[in-house]
Amino acid sequence: MITAIRGTFHRFDTRFMEAAPARRLATLRILVGLFATVFLVVRSSYLFSISGLPAARFEPVGLLGWLGEPLPVWLVKCALAFAVACGCASVVGWRYRVTGPLFALGFLLLTTYDNSWQQVAHTENLAALHLAVLAFAPAADALSLDARRWSRPAVGLGARYGWPVRLMSIITVTTYVIAGIAKERNGGLHWITGDVLRNQIATDNLHKILLGDTYSPLGARLVAHAWLFPPMALATMVVELGAPLALLRGKVRAVMVSAMWCFHVAIVGVMAIFFVYPLTFVAYASLLRPERLADAIEARVRGRRIPAMSNSA
Amino acid sequence: MRRGWAYIVSISAVAVVFSPVLRPSQRDSFPLSTYPMFSDDLGRESALATAVGITGDEQVRRLSPELISGGYEPVRAYATVEASIANGDTAALCGEIAERTAKSRSNEIVAIEVVTEVHDVVAWFEGDKEPAQRIVHARCPVNASPVEAR
Repeated sequence: MITAIRGTFHRFDTRFMEAAPARRLATLRILVGLFATVFLVVRSSYLFSISGLPAARFEPVGLLGWLGEPLPVWLVKCALAFAVACGCASVVGWRYRVTGPLFALGFLLLTTYDNSWQQVAHTENLAALHLAVLAFAPAADALSLDARRWSRPAVGLGARYGWPVRLMSIITVTTYVIAGIAKERNGGLHWITGDVLRNQIATDNLHKILLGDTYSPLGARLVAHAWLFPPMALATMVVELGAPLALLRGKVRAVMVSAMWCFHVAIVGVMAIFFVYPLTFVAYASLLRPERLADAIEARVRGRRIPAMSNSA
Repeated sequence: MRRGWAYIVSISAVAVVFSPVLRPSQRDSFPLSTYPMFSDDLGRESALATAVGITGDEQVRRLSPELISGGYEPVRAYATVEASIANGDTAALCGEIAERTAKSRSNEIVAIEVVTEVHDVVAWFEGDKEPAQRIVHARCPVNASPVEAR
């Protein structure tokens, strides 16, 4: 028994602490940082608009739970401008040891504030958690201004570039498992076999129609066909509770990542709800080999430069 | 040493992310969440807390999420009205919405009602669009302060 446990831990340890290229972590810094920075910019007008609501609408959550009243709008604007500046700096890897943690903290505080107005959404959670991991990892040892400035010898593989990536992946699949547990707790087997999902989709679309929002015509049509929903509910539970399979290698991982992405596409299709972070694939980048994207972009840029240089010669 | 540090950080991080599941209170928070979306059995009858515009001849006009809550998200608009009903401050919310409606120059709307409408959500998509029940929590004229709360 003890030997088996030791063997399992040894395999896990070998895998978890396996060396990875510095460029993998660096590409994740760029992708997640870029997503979060663009998100803040796009969300800014909404954030400013709700920041001006009466204090009675303010119900702080998370790190801001201690706040007695809303912050002045000018302070929210300044904080957002500062966070976006830190976001740009962390994307290009400029003084990342300072700008990385500052951006992670700024993004966390601003999105917490955004969620403190009587409605907790679930769109930014994973991005905030990924930024927190990246903030304290050596994510600017490659593909960064810091790496150029220090003119260090090129960094290659290292365990310190590997485990933060795997931690991000474990956090990603954990959030899916938690969502599956919530469904199991609140509905049990009935969540799969009953009308829970059908009623959810009908209610969500009806509320949107009555509130004048974009709804899903597909979801509205499907509501009439009750038999469709138990298989859809089962597929949801398989994806959520089976998400840890994405930590395995090979085809299993590819299938699970595809399933998780398709799950969000299906949510768009039947409820017109956009979970932007997974839909852009950035949420799953740590489960893949994101450095290939950086390699491809670099090769393309070089390919353009070489003909341009030969032309000028 | 580095290996130990990696494990301490990783185990702590995963434990923190998983902690909402183990908490006795299932109150949602951010960024640590129980991800309860879509998990509740809402049943076929759904009570929608909302605010509507009333025209001069007492016709109901739907209001946008921006007019109801000040933000474009319908879920937030719904949550705002629901919280207002729970807190007993629907008259104040009605006044806020009336003010926003007046600024939006929706000339046709003469009053705002904060209401709960109960619908059979499946039947609605099958053509039965009348609410099974309608409760008016507050009514206030547009361009003036709230005059009545029920």
